[in-house]
Parts: sequence; structure tokens; C-alpha cells
Amino acid sequence: MAQPSKQNHIVLLLTVGLLAWFVPGAGHFILNQKKHAIIIFITIAVTFCIGLYAGSIGVIDPVGAKPWYVAQIMNSPIVAAIGYLTRTGNYPVYGRPNEVGQLYTSIAGLLNLLCIVNAVYMAHLQRTQAIEE
Amino acid sequence: MPAVALIIATFTSPERISTNPQFFLWLLPLVAAIAVVYKATKVSKIKIAPFLKEAAVLFGSIVIFMVVTAIVLCALAWLIIE
Repeated sequence: MAQPSKQNHIVLLLTVGLLAWFVPGAGHFILNQKKHAIIIFITIAVTFCIGLYAGSIGVIDPVGAKPWYVAQIMNSPIVAAIGYLTRTGNYPVYGRPNEVGQLYTSIAGLLNLLCIVNAVYMAHLQRTQAIEE
Repeated sequence: MPAVALIIATFTSPERISTNPQFFLWLLPLVAAIAVVYKATKVSKIKIAPFLKEAAVLFGSIVIFMVVTAIVLCALAWLIIE
């Protein structure tokens, strides 16, 4: 009996984690923390968009800037689609705009990673409390 | 449609950002985002006024710490050069 319950628990955590990755704040949203979700979504989306505005979509460079790309892809899988567009090198960006764009988009990604971990932890806590009650 | 095309076009060419003291103002929105998201993950229940106050305190702390660090580094550089 304990095995299916443990499997359900893992499936729940995976679902929350994946949702939080697909849409920033969605992990908190399905945990009924709507205010958290709205604040997280708006802040991360705006930070990411400022980065793209400053440096253009060329700052997402899966070929020439792999370490930055790893952080950027934490925003959402949409980053992979943008990376597919820019890997051809049609959107070159250098100097300060590149730095600012990479910093903003990468930090937005790392903030979303923090939110993913937080949402998964909250889901774990809620589930454990529900089982204990 | 032209408006949408214009918005998309702004994301396909980089802005002009020159190397001057105003460049450091780009730090502020980033610190604000970090403060807001960090506080959103730490607070269990969000009430707007206390939340904004806590985020503002964290924002101020980060900015002050960075300014102090910059001053110390400048002083060190000045001491080494002189």
C-alpha cells in the first residue's frame, strides 16, 4: 500500500516542478498560493523581457555562450525555441548590451530555479502534512 | 499589426548602452527583481504592505552593501596605485 502512495508523491513533486519550469509561478499557483504565483510570474517575466529588450534575442546563444544558456533555460522551455532561432548567428550582439542582456536573462532563470525548488518543497510539505492528518 | 511588428522588432536588435556612470543604474531593476522574488519564496502569507516593506528593506540592504563594497575596492585600488 505504501508504494503507490510514494509513487503518487513523486509524481506530484515532478508535476509541480515541471509546471513551475514551464510557466514561472505555475508551481505556486497549483499549490493555491495565487499571490505568490502572480508576483513570481510578473517579476521573472519582466526581468527576462528587459534582458531581451536590452540585448535582443541574440543574448540567448546556445553555441557561443553555453554557461549563460544553462541559466537562461531555467526560465522556461520557450528559451530553447529562441535558442533554436539564434543558433544560426543571425542576431549578433556584442559589448554592454550583450552583458546586460545575459545578466538579466540568466538571473531571471536562476530566480525561477529558486522558485521551482521552493514550489517542490512546499508541495512536499503540504503532502506530508496531509498524510499526517 | 504594425504595432505588434514594432514590438517584436525591438527584441531583435540590441539597445545602445554606453560605458558611463549611468550604466550602473541597470543594477537597480535587477536588484529589485531579486529582492521581490526572494521575499515571495520566503513569506508564507503575502499581505501587500508588509511584503513591499520587506522587499524594500532587502533591496536597500543589497544596494548599500554593493556601494560599500565598491568604495572599499576603489580605496584598495587607490592605495595600490599611489
